[in-house]
Amino acid sequence: MIHDAQMDYYGTRLATCSSDRSVKIFDVRNGGQILIADLRGHEGPVWQVAWAHPMYGNILASCSYDRKVIIWKEENGTWEKTYEYTGHDSSVNSVCWAPHDYGLILACGSSDGAISLLSYTGDGQWEVKKISNAHTIGCNAVSWAPAVVPGSLIEQPSGQKPNYIKRFASGGCDNLVKIWKEEDGQWKEEQKLEAHSDWVRDVAWAPSIGLPTSTIASCSQDGRVFIWTCDDASGNSWSPKLLHKFTDVVWHVSWSITANILAVSGGDNKVTLWKESVDGLWACISDVNKGQGGVSAITEGQQNEQ
Amino acid sequence: MKLKEIDRTAMQAWSPALQHPIYLATGTSAQQLDATFSTSASLEIFELDLSDPSLDMKSYCGVFVSRRYHKLIWGPHSMTTGESVSGVLIAGGENGNIILYDPAKIIAGDAEVIIAQKDKHTGPVRALDVNIFQTNLVASGANESEIYIWDLNNFATPMTPGVKTQPLEDVSCIAWNRQVQHILASASPSGRATVWDLRKNEPIIKVSDHNNRMHCSGLAWHPDIATQMVLASEDDRLPVIQMWDLRFASSPLRVLENHTRGVLAIAWSMADPELLLSCGKDAKILCSNPNTGEVLYELPTNTQWCFDIQWCPRNPAVLSAASFDGRISVYSIMGGSADGLRQKQVDQLSSSFGNLDPFGTGQPLPPLQLPQQTASQSVILPLKKPPKWIRRPVGASFSFGGKLVTFENTKAQQQPGIDQQQQRHHVYVSQVVTEKEFLARSNQLQEAVRSEGFVSYCQNKIDMAQADFERSVWAFLKVNFEEDSRVKYLELLGYRKEDLRKKVNVLESCVKYIFANTLSSASKCFLHESKASTTREILSFKSRLKLENPDETQSCLDVDGLITQALLTGNFESAVDLCLHDNRMADAIILAIAGGQELLSRTQEKYFAKMQSKITRLITAVVTKNWKEIVQSCDLQNWREALAAVLTYARPEEFAALCDLLGNRLESEGDSLLQTQACLCYICAGNVEKLVACWTKAQDGNSPLSLQDLIEKVVILRKAVQLTQAVDPNAVGALLAEKMSQYANLLAAQGSIAAALTFLPANTNQVHDPPPFFFPVCFLSVLTGSLQAEICVEAEREMKLAPSVMKLLTESLLFSPFVAYQATQQYSFGTGGPAVYQPQQPITAPASASYPNPAPNPTHPYLPSAPSHTMPSPLYPGQPQPSPTSLNPASSFPLPPSGASFQHGRPGPPATSVAYALPTGSTGTLPATSDLPASQRTGLRLNGGRASREGRTFCLLTQGYVCVFSFHRMTWKSLICSVFQHVQALPTEKITKKPIPEEHLILKTTFEALIQRCLLSASDPQTKRKLDDANKRLEFLYDKLREQTLSPTIISGLHNIVKSIETRSYMEGLNIHTHIVSTSNFSETSAFMPVLKVVLTQANKLGV
Repeated sequence: MIHDAQMDYYGTRLATCSSDRSVKIFDVRNGGQILIADLRGHEGPVWQVAWAHPMYGNILASCSYDRKVIIWKEENGTWEKTYEYTGHDSSVNSVCWAPHDYGLILACGSSDGAISLLSYTGDGQWEVKKISNAHTIGCNAVSWAPAVVPGSLIEQPSGQKPNYIKRFASGGCDNLVKIWKEEDGQWKEEQKLEAHSDWVRDVAWAPSIGLPTSTIASCSQDGRVFIWTCDDASGNSWSPKLLHKFTDVVWHVSWSITANILAVSGGDNKVTLWKESVDGLWACISDVNKGQGGVSAITEGQQNEQ
Repeated sequence: MKLKEIDRTAMQAWSPALQHPIYLATGTSAQQLDATFSTSASLEIFELDLSDPSLDMKSYCGVFVSRRYHKLIWGPHSMTTGESVSGVLIAGGENGNIILYDPAKIIAGDAEVIIAQKDKHTGPVRALDVNIFQTNLVASGANESEIYIWDLNNFATPMTPGVKTQPLEDVSCIAWNRQVQHILASASPSGRATVWDLRKNEPIIKVSDHNNRMHCSGLAWHPDIATQMVLASEDDRLPVIQMWDLRFASSPLRVLENHTRGVLAIAWSMADPELLLSCGKDAKILCSNPNTGEVLYELPTNTQWCFDIQWCPRNPAVLSAASFDGRISVYSIMGGSADGLRQKQVDQLSSSFGNLDPFGTGQPLPPLQLPQQTASQSVILPLKKPPKWIRRPVGASFSFGGKLVTFENTKAQQQPGIDQQQQRHHVYVSQVVTEKEFLARSNQLQEAVRSEGFVSYCQNKIDMAQADFERSVWAFLKVNFEEDSRVKYLELLGYRKEDLRKKVNVLESCVKYIFANTLSSASKCFLHESKASTTREILSFKSRLKLENPDETQSCLDVDGLITQALLTGNFESAVDLCLHDNRMADAIILAIAGGQELLSRTQEKYFAKMQSKITRLITAVVTKNWKEIVQSCDLQNWREALAAVLTYARPEEFAALCDLLGNRLESEGDSLLQTQACLCYICAGNVEKLVACWTKAQDGNSPLSLQDLIEKVVILRKAVQLTQAVDPNAVGALLAEKMSQYANLLAAQGSIAAALTFLPANTNQVHDPPPFFFPVCFLSVLTGSLQAEICVEAEREMKLAPSVMKLLTESLLFSPFVAYQATQQYSFGTGGPAVYQPQQPITAPASASYPNPAPNPTHPYLPSAPSHTMPSPLYPGQPQPSPTSLNPASSFPLPPSGASFQHGRPGPPATSVAYALPTGSTGTLPATSDLPASQRTGLRLNGGRASREGRTFCLLTQGYVCVFSFHRMTWKSLICSVFQHVQALPTEKITKKPIPEEHLILKTTFEALIQRCLLSASDPQTKRKLDDANKRLEFLYDKLREQTLSPTIISGLHNIVKSIETRSYMEGLNIHTHIVSTSNFSETSAFMPVLKVVLTQANKLGV
C-alpha cells in the first residue's frame, strides 16, 4: 500500500513509500520509469517522504510508523542513509523540509504529540529541537510557511535585510491547526486555528507568489477542507473559509507551485482540483482522471504488504 | 498514554460518532460501594477536550438520580448531524428499569432530563445495545432470560425476539450484528450465547463451549464479517476470548489466551477490526488482533482491575477504562510520552503554593522538582501494528510544471484466511492544465513566431477581434509587417491618399465655382458702376474694401510710399515689416523671398504669429517641420490628425520619438479611452516597453488570458521592430521582463516548459527586480532535453544576460556545476540601470583575504558536500580559515549586508569554492559596501579578476570563483555575486597535488599542446581568452586524473579524443566527445567536458 509519492524539485524523480517498509526512487524523466533505488531501513510502514531543496544535494527524508525519521542521501550515484532520528515515541506521520533559505531543517510530526525540528549543523551533525505535546494524541501533518515576507512584491523596501520569520503549520488529532513561530531560537505556538470537528489530517501552507496574504489549507477526518487566510503582516488574524464538505475523510491537500490550484484527495479515492474564482469562491475545476493526458504512469506491481 | 482521568466509580458511555465535541457520560455503578458507603447515584457528562493538556475533564453539572446503574449506553437516536448535543442516553437500572435521558438537557443544566422510563424487566438490566442501522431500536437483557426490543419512537411496549431460552438464566450481554440489522446475539454467564433472527422472531443458533466452563462477560460482533463474534470468559479457570464463526459453530474458530485471570470486558474497535480491547482480573488491558490472536499492545495501567472498557466512537485512538479503584481513565492507543502532562502537573502543584516569591528574596522560586520516574515508564510504545486509521490510502501532490502525482490504494477486499491479495498499486503522473485557451493561444503565437507568418497571424486576430479597439491594435501591428507602413498607418487612421485627392478635387472645383460666381458678380457690379466717373468709382470701391479694415484706413496711402521708399533703398526688412504691418501678407512673403533665407524664415514666423486660423498651426508645422510642437500642443481629441501628420511628414529618425511623445500625452491624459489609444501610437513607434506599460495600465487583472493578450501583441511588435529597426533583439525592459517572466511561469505551471524557456527574458536594459521565475532555467533545459544545446548556444553567443537570468544561472550554479561552469564563459551582463552596483576597479593587488562577515553562523545548516559539489573540507566563512589555499589573495570581496555565507565545494582543486550567503545572519555594515547607497548594494556585483568592460559589464571568470549570493528581501530579489580568479592561489596548492598517473599524462600534454597551437594561430582576443580559460579549466580534468576518480569509459574516451587530436581529425574528436557526454554521468564530466568541446571546436575552426 503506497502512502506517499513525491516528485523532486525538478520533476525528474519520483519517491514513493509504502507499507512494505520500503522507500523507492524512480527516474521519471521523459515519461520513463526506472527504479533507481529501493531504500530499506524502516521497520514499519513508511508514511511520508520529502525531498530537500536540490541546493543541498539529493536528499530525501522519510518517516515511518517505526518511530524513526531517516534522511537518505545520494553520494556518487548511490543512495544511503545519512541520518536516523529516533527521538519520537510513536509513529512519525509527517516530514517537511523548511524553505531552503533557512538551511536544512526538517520538521517531523508524530503521534506522540510532539513535533521535532532537525537542523543540519554541518559535519554530519543534526541539532534537534522538540516541541512536546504540540497536539494531544498526535500530530498528523506539518507544513512550512514560504520564506517570503508577505507582500514583498508590492512593497519594495530597498536594501533592507529580509525580515524572515520561520513559521510552520501543523495539524493533529486534537482537531486543531496550529501555527508555530520561531522566536529567539525557540519555537512558540503562535496561533491555534479551530474549525475542524475531527482530526486534522493534513495542512498545506500555500507557496507565496508575493501577495500580502498568507494561505493555509487544512483537511480533516470530518470531511471538511478549510482555507485559512491571513492578511495582516503580524500574522495574527486568520479566518477560515470552508472549501467544501466531503462525504468521506479528506486525507491530503496539496497546492500547485503557483499556489492557485489545490488538489484534495479524499477517502473515497477521489482527487479533485479546486481553484478560487475572482469573487473569492472556491470551485471544483476537475476530477482528476488519473493518468489521462498524463506524462507517465507508474505501475508498481505487486507491492505486498508486510 | 493516559490522557484524562475522572475520579468516579461509574459506568461509562461515549457520545456517538456524530457528536462533536466528544463527551463521556458516567453513571454511578451499581454493586460497588466506596468507603463512604454512600448509595446516592448521579449521571454526569464530561467533555473530552484534547487541546487542554491537563488530566482533568471538563464536567457538566450532573444530575442526581435515584437508582444506580448496571449499564449505560449513548445512542445516536434522532441525532441530526452534529452541531448540537443530541442522541439519547439509555441506562439500565438495578430494579429492572430502563431510563432514557436527554444528554443535551443534562449539559444545559436542565432539571428535567428524563425522556422516558420503563419498568418492565425483572431484576437489574445488565445488557443494552443500540442497533446501528435503526438507531431507534434498543435491545435490553435482564434476569430470567428476559430480552426486550425497545423502539424509542414508541417506547411504551417492547417486543421480544422470541421465546425465552431455557433454562432461564441471566442475560449478561447483548449485541446487535454489525452487518445484518435483524440479527441479535445474547449471552449469559453460563457461557451460552444465542443468536436471534428478529424477522423470524426466534433463536437461530446457539453457541456454547463443550466444557461449559465459559462464564460470559463480554460479547461482540465482528465489525466487518457478519458471521463472526467473540465471547469473553470471566472464569479464572478459563480466562479466554473465543472467536466464533457461525458458519462452523461447533467449536470456536480461535481462542485468545492472553489473560491469566478472567476477562471482565471486551470492546471491538469499529475503526479497525484488527483491534480488540480486553481487560481482566489480571489487571491488564490488552489490545489484540482477534483475527490472529496476537497481542498488539498492553496498556500501562495501575494494579487495579478494570470492569468496563470502551472505544471512543469518534476518536479512534481514544479509549476509556473504568477501574475498581474508583477511576475512569482515558487513554490513547498511539503511545507517546507523558512528560508534557507530568510537567503540567508539577507546574500546577508548585504554582498552587504561590511560588511567586514566598520568602521575599526578590526571585521567584524554581518549579517544584518531583522525583523523576524512570524513563521506561514515561515512554509508552504504540501499537505493534499501525492502526487502519493512520494508513493514508490516497494522495495527490503537485510538483514542478503543473504535474500532479496521485496514488490510490483500492480498498482491499480482505477475507480472513485468504492471503493478502496481490494488489497493484499505481502512482499516476498527470499534467494539470487549467488554462486550455491560454495554452492554445500561446501555441498559436509560438507557431506564428516559428513560421514567421506574422501577417496572417495578425489578420486572423483582426478577424477574430471582438472589440473595435482590439481590431485596430492588430491592424496597426499588422501594418508593421507590410511595405510602406506609414501610408498604411495613415489609411488606418482614416487618411486615404486617393480619398483625399478626390476630396481636394471636389473642393477645388467648388472653390473655383464660388470664386467664379463672386468674381462675375463683382465684375458685374464693377462694370455697372464704372459708368460713372471711373476714378471716383474706383476710389469708392477701394474705400468699401477699406471699411473692412477701418484702423488702417488712414495709413493706407502712406504705407505704399514708405514701402516704396524702403524697397528703393534696398531695405527689405523694413519693407517686409511694413507689409506685415499693413497686413499685406503676400507682399511680405514675396519680398522676404527676395530678401534671403533668414528674412524668409523670420517672416514666416511673424506670419504664423499673426494668422490665427485653425489650419495655420498645421501649415506652420509643415513649413517649419516642427512636429514636436504640434504633437506637444495639439488638442488630444485630434490625436488621429496629429498622428497622421507625423506619419506623413516626420523624418524617419524622429518618427518614433514623435509617436512616443504623442503616446505619452495620450497616456497621461485622464481619459481612459485616450489612454488605450496611446497603445496605437506606441505600436507606430515600435516602442515595446511603453506598449507594455500602457497596456498594463489600461487592462487590469492578472488573469492568464489578459496576459496572453498582452504577450501576443508584444511578441508580434517585437518581431516587427526587429524587422524594421536595427535594435538588439534581446533587449527587454524591466516591465516587459516582469511580464515575460510571469508568462513563462504560467506556461511552466501548465507544463509547457520548453515554451516557458523561450519566453524567459534574456536581457533587461534596466536593472530591476523582475519577479522570481520559479524554476532555475537550466533545469528547464534539462527537462526539455536540450540542456547542452541550450546552454552551450547561449554561452557561445555570449549573449547579454538579464539579471533575472543571471539569478537563475547563479541559482542553478547551486545545483549543477556544469551550468555554473558555462556561466563563467565570459558572459557579459547587460546592466546599467540605477540599481546596478557599479563594480569597483578590480582589485589586483594581492590583499589579504577578508571575509567581512559580521555574523558568522556556526549553526549554518548545510550539508557540506552535496554530491555534485564534493569537497574535502567545507569552509564556513566566519570561522578561522586554516588553509592558505582557502584565502583569496586576488581580491577581497564584500559580503552582502546580511547573511552568513556558505562555501560549497566544487569538483576541482580545493581552492575552488563557491560561497553562498544566505539571509539568515544579522545585519551589519560592511567595509566594502558601507560607502555605497543602500540601493546600490542590491544589484549585481561581479568582481572580475580581469578588467571589466565599461564598468557596466562584468566578466565572470573561471578557474575558481566565489559567488556570494545575497537577497535583500527574498531569495530571488537580488544577489551579489563576486567572481574572481584564484590564479595566485594555485601555486601553493600545486605542491600538494598528486602527480597524474603516467599513462594518462598524455592527455594533459596533448590538450595543452593543442591549446597552445590554437593560441598561436588565433587572432582575435576573444578566442584567445576563451582558450586561456579552457587551459585553466582543464585543471579540473587533471585533478580528476590525479585522484583517479574518473570511470574507465570516460578515460578511454578521452584517450580516443587524444588519438583523434594527434591525427588532427577534430570532428571525430567532437563525435567521441558527444558520445562520452551522452553516456556518462553528468556530474562526473560536467566540469571539464564542455571546455574540451570548446577547445576541439576552436581547433577545428582554426585548423591547427
